[in-house]
Amino acid sequence: MQSTQKNIKNNNLLININKLNVFFNTPEGLSHVVKDVNFNVKKGTCLGVVGESGSGKTQTFFSITGLLAKNGYAEGEANFKNYNLITCDDEIRRSFLGKSIGFIFQDPMTSLTPHLKIGDQLAEIAIYHKKITKSQALQRAAEVMDVVKLPNNRDIINSYPHELSGGMKQRIMIAISLMCEPDLIIADEPTTALDVTTQAEILNIFNDLKNNLNIGLVLISHNIGVIAETSNDVLVMKNGQILENGNTHEVLTKPKNDYTKHLLSCIPPWIGN
Amino acid sequence: MIKFITKRILIAIPTLLIIIAFSFSMMRVAPGGPFTNERALPPEIEKNIKAAYNLDKPVYEQFYIYMKNIARGDFGPSFKYKDFSVKELILNGLPVSVTLGLSAIIISLFLGSLLGIIAAINRNTIFDYSVMGVSLVGICVPSFVMAPLLSLFFSLYMGILPTSGWNNGNILNLILPITALSLPQIAIISRMMRASTIEVLNSNFIRTAKSKGLNQSYIIRKHVIRASILPIVEYLAPASAGLMTGSIIIEQIFGLPGIGRYFVVGALQRDYTLVSGVLILYASLLILLILITDIVRAILDPRVKI
Ligand SMILES: Nc1ncnc2c1ncn2[C@@H]1O[C@H](COP(=O)(O)OP(=O)(O)OP(=O)(O)O)[C@@H](O)[C@H]1O
Ligand SMILES: [Mg+2]
Repeated sequence: MQSTQKNIKNNNLLININKLNVFFNTPEGLSHVVKDVNFNVKKGTCLGVVGESGSGKTQTFFSITGLLAKNGYAEGEANFKNYNLITCDDEIRRSFLGKSIGFIFQDPMTSLTPHLKIGDQLAEIAIYHKKITKSQALQRAAEVMDVVKLPNNRDIINSYPHELSGGMKQRIMIAISLMCEPDLIIADEPTTALDVTTQAEILNIFNDLKNNLNIGLVLISHNIGVIAETSNDVLVMKNGQILENGNTHEVLTKPKNDYTKHLLSCIPPWIGN
Repeated sequence: MIKFITKRILIAIPTLLIIIAFSFSMMRVAPGGPFTNERALPPEIEKNIKAAYNLDKPVYEQFYIYMKNIARGDFGPSFKYKDFSVKELILNGLPVSVTLGLSAIIISLFLGSLLGIIAAINRNTIFDYSVMGVSLVGICVPSFVMAPLLSLFFSLYMGILPTSGWNNGNILNLILPITALSLPQIAIISRMMRASTIEVLNSNFIRTAKSKGLNQSYIIRKHVIRASILPIVEYLAPASAGLMTGSIIIEQIFGLPGIGRYFVVGALQRDYTLVSGVLILYASLLILLILITDIVRAILDPRVKI
């Protein structure tokens, strides 16, 4: 009985992070910003990551995707599809990035290349990874734009980033990450820069992705309310360490750690049940 | 686009008028005149000559006559090169100066951008340090120092390149002047390109491109260059101005019969019409270059509306 359950769990397992450490060489010496972090992300679920500014949320996921700044390096394991993303060749990691792993950043205003049309920025990722033609890629672009609920997508495909609003740009970023049907999407504070209504719409899209497309989602946020609404599991981080890791409902209703209690006391009681 | 260009050309006309008026009055204010000599001419002859060139009339009338002629495309006769009109002299020197200037600007843009990009990609490596070090020398050493050093080394010591002369545009005669002219610009452009490329490489949209799993050369080609070349495009007009003034000296040093030579000789000899003619040419070229800059910028950056 127990072994079957474990099996199901393993089948659902998307990425396993084991003893992950991130360091930066700084003028003041080596700075250790992510410390022995362990966690899993499962298919069709959302892992919420909360923690104060500077707690290492972003660098944890930058290290997995090879986006660390030049002065940084990582140690440990990020097991994804039989590869350790921390130690594997750049080329292998790149073959997963954009194709199996999508990354959505905090600042949609500056995350798109200003001189390329939206259509090109959507299409290039599929052309690059799947070796399809541009017209096939644009067809796929129209599909994913439906998923992120972007109307009039002909117009948008021919426009440049500066012609779109912040919310539209963030939808485009999500659409880009969906182009190659990824297994895992990492969204680093995807709604922080957006107004409340847009924020809610974007979170709805994430819920759809997780439930309908069976994508594993990592949602990094400052906002425990957002996490409570969207994520199945939650990590609470502070100073590069994981203080709490478990089912969102359990963690939020019965926090074991004082820091989590403190975080929860900071949000109004009507959010999250 | 056509509306924009027409508008810019219309704006250019008053700009040119002001430049002509300015050069005209500067020349009159400067002491001496085209026919001032160590040995004074007999007064009657001087009077005749002055009358022939309208120099006996009041300045404002001279200006009026001059402008009227320019409007007809006539820049007048040279005061010093007898039997030549200014137009003839300029057309004579133009092929030399254009060959020199155009080659220098193309080479500077190409090499400067290339070195800057490579240095930015490999920043803090030996390549980066050497490009930046050499370019610092290139910026500090003016071309009139560089030029004699180059000919000393390549012409006198090595004996592989001619020291001077046009020689009907023989490539060997051009190598040294073009090099001397381009080096400071290559130095400046490579530094600008390095700085702007580093800025672009650190920008959020390049992080997005990396997160798409694209390889480096693809990212550089598609996402970096068009953004990082923008400051270089803006620099095109100042760079050309620098090359024009540089070429005046370089043409002298290498004995090239270009326009720069007429400019210097004309200024020294108070050849009013010649100097004004060359100045109008330089100013028009610069105005044209600024127009081209704006068009190229609008093509490269969709946020710029023209
Ligand atoms: N290039 C770098 N060099 C040195 N230290 C860095 C570098 N990048 C990040 N850090 C440090 O790593 C730590 C963790 O940063 P990280 O970006 O992961 O924080 P975060 O939890 O995402 O915060 P926020 O909520 O503000 O985004 C911070 O203390 C930061 O100063
Ligand atoms: Mg962060």
